[in-house]
Amino acid sequence: MKRRFVRTVLASVLAAGALSTASAAEAQEIQLTGPLKGAPAARHMRLYREGRFEIAPSISFTLLDEYRRTILAGARLNYNVTDWLAVGVWGAAGAVSSTTDLTDRINVTAPRDPLTAINVNHAAAPYGNGNAPQPSFGDQTAKISYVIAPQLTFIPFRGKLAIFNKIFVDTDLYVAGGVGFVGIQERQDCGGTGQNLHPCSDPRTFALQSTSKIAPTGGVGLTFYPGKWFSIGVEYRALPFSWNRAGFDSRGAGTNGNFPDQKVDSNDETFKFNQLVTIALGFSLPTTPKLSE
Amino acid sequence: MRQAGRWLLLAAAMVLVPQAAYAQKKKPHKGANAGAAAAPAPTPVDADADQAAAPAAPPPSADQPAAGAAGDTSGASAPAAGDTGATGGDTGGMDICQITPDAPQCAAAKEFDLGAEAKKTVRAEIYAVQQEYVIKSGRFEIMPYFALTLNDQFVSHDAPGLALNYYLTQVLAVGVNGNWYQGLNADSDFNFQNRRAARIAVPLNEYQFSGDLNFTYVPMYGKFAGFGDFIFHYDAYVDGGVGVIRTRPIPVIDPDNRSFQWSTLVNFDVGIGFRIFFNRWLAAVLEVRDLMYFEKIENLKVATGAGAQDKTTWYDPDTHFTNDVQMQVGLSLFLPTSFDYRLPK
Repeated sequence: MKRRFVRTVLASVLAAGALSTASAAEAQEIQLTGPLKGAPAARHMRLYREGRFEIAPSISFTLLDEYRRTILAGARLNYNVTDWLAVGVWGAAGAVSSTTDLTDRINVTAPRDPLTAINVNHAAAPYGNGNAPQPSFGDQTAKISYVIAPQLTFIPFRGKLAIFNKIFVDTDLYVAGGVGFVGIQERQDCGGTGQNLHPCSDPRTFALQSTSKIAPTGGVGLTFYPGKWFSIGVEYRALPFSWNRAGFDSRGAGTNGNFPDQKVDSNDETFKFNQLVTIALGFSLPTTPKLSE
Repeated sequence: MRQAGRWLLLAAAMVLVPQAAYAQKKKPHKGANAGAAAAPAPTPVDADADQAAAPAAPPPSADQPAAGAAGDTSGASAPAAGDTGATGGDTGGMDICQITPDAPQCAAAKEFDLGAEAKKTVRAEIYAVQQEYVIKSGRFEIMPYFALTLNDQFVSHDAPGLALNYYLTQVLAVGVNGNWYQGLNADSDFNFQNRRAARIAVPLNEYQFSGDLNFTYVPMYGKFAGFGDFIFHYDAYVDGGVGVIRTRPIPVIDPDNRSFQWSTLVNFDVGIGFRIFFNRWLAAVLEVRDLMYFEKIENLKVATGAGAQDKTTWYDPDTHFTNDVQMQVGLSLFLPTSFDYRLPK
């Protein structure tokens, strides 16, 4: 039974391989005998990138945020060494920041009592003062302040796009990779011993402090060229690093460090695959692109 | 006897007239120019043969990348037709029909009177993609895929799925799709961390399956040159429809007393997808789809005493509008696997 199964699988793989290679072999046959043997796939192509500078003001939106969303305004600067390789930098600063529904719900429903005193923002030590208004939980959630990312951009695919059979735009697809220097604001350390730190139940410890992270960053995007000197870009970018988004004490104690230790520090940072979508409007110099052969 | 002959002639005419009318009404193909469209009986061109020939066809200019393959105006095809007496000498020996007379596009060119075709008025409009790489009209699409949850940090609803579509036209399809979630719903660690730190419980729901009737519209298509060496084709589509989804709450607030049954709810879905063709019948698909419905969630309040066993107290009295955003990654198979173009390129 097992032998029969293996034979069937092998036969299927061979059949699939033969099917997938057949058309390529035919095309190759024609190319070998045709007069354009060795010719490029596209001729007289507008080289929108080669030898041109690009400045692209951009707006970025964070995705899948747990506690706080950020909209970043920035710009991308690129010099396109060739039509398929560019060096540059993308930078952006947090312009707008808003809380998620989960943050609002925690703010409204989380009890302010001794059990939550080190994790949820409250009015006065140790966990509130009668009917006094409570500070917002959202104030303790971390946010992205800025990102600066020197990067290389690789443009392997270049083509055209037809929309409604009426609008035709030249398009390229690129991948970018580099190092991100990220400025964030997150809850300050508290509860440690011998470091002159306040206990984490102290309301002062819920204030945010600025810090920075270094993280790899990479993205993939499409650039549309409606004109010779300007373009529209859409990009997905990942910016993974560890940070304490909620300001909770969630780790540090126990044999594996997975239990609260009454301290908020780097142990409480958790890995997050931060994601952004960016929309950019690019301007290229010189304003006229070259043509390929 | 004579009358019988007349009646037979009349019957034959009645049979033939509607056929001629149909042929007249048929619109010219998008990818063909007007001169070719007016040809009396265009011969279907085999798609695979055309693909093989395409790289060898010399493009006359950057703005007319495929005109040479049509065989109607370029010197490359004229000698093959034999009617015009034109020589291919002006092409400087670049005539593929001289080198490979059996090439498919040379055979197609023989079907036309190039002299007559050249006198016709040509609509000077060149499409970005002269002949779409994949003709979808009249074909079935089978799309197995795997869906990953994008927007729920508390419970992921990953699922294998299958979509079946039939393309009524080149840009419009009707079809169904279904996902099976049961066994793959996963409560996240993030959820536990929130419960422990903030002492709040967030109601959770799991899915069993969903199924939708959809319309798909394909407004965009194009092609990319990869590394300046090979060309691949792609299209982008939007879809939307209506269907059902079966869900139930995962007991979080009072798991000792509560046990929920599956409920069938109406959902609406919209999506946007991107398809890259490997060949004329196989493509990779990436789609983002949002399933929207009104969810019944667990009641955050627990009745005391015997009321805790009362099922009517288990559900929150309000329904909650829910978006389940999924990323679907899969393959798209078109049947039949081959097709003929109505007009030559």
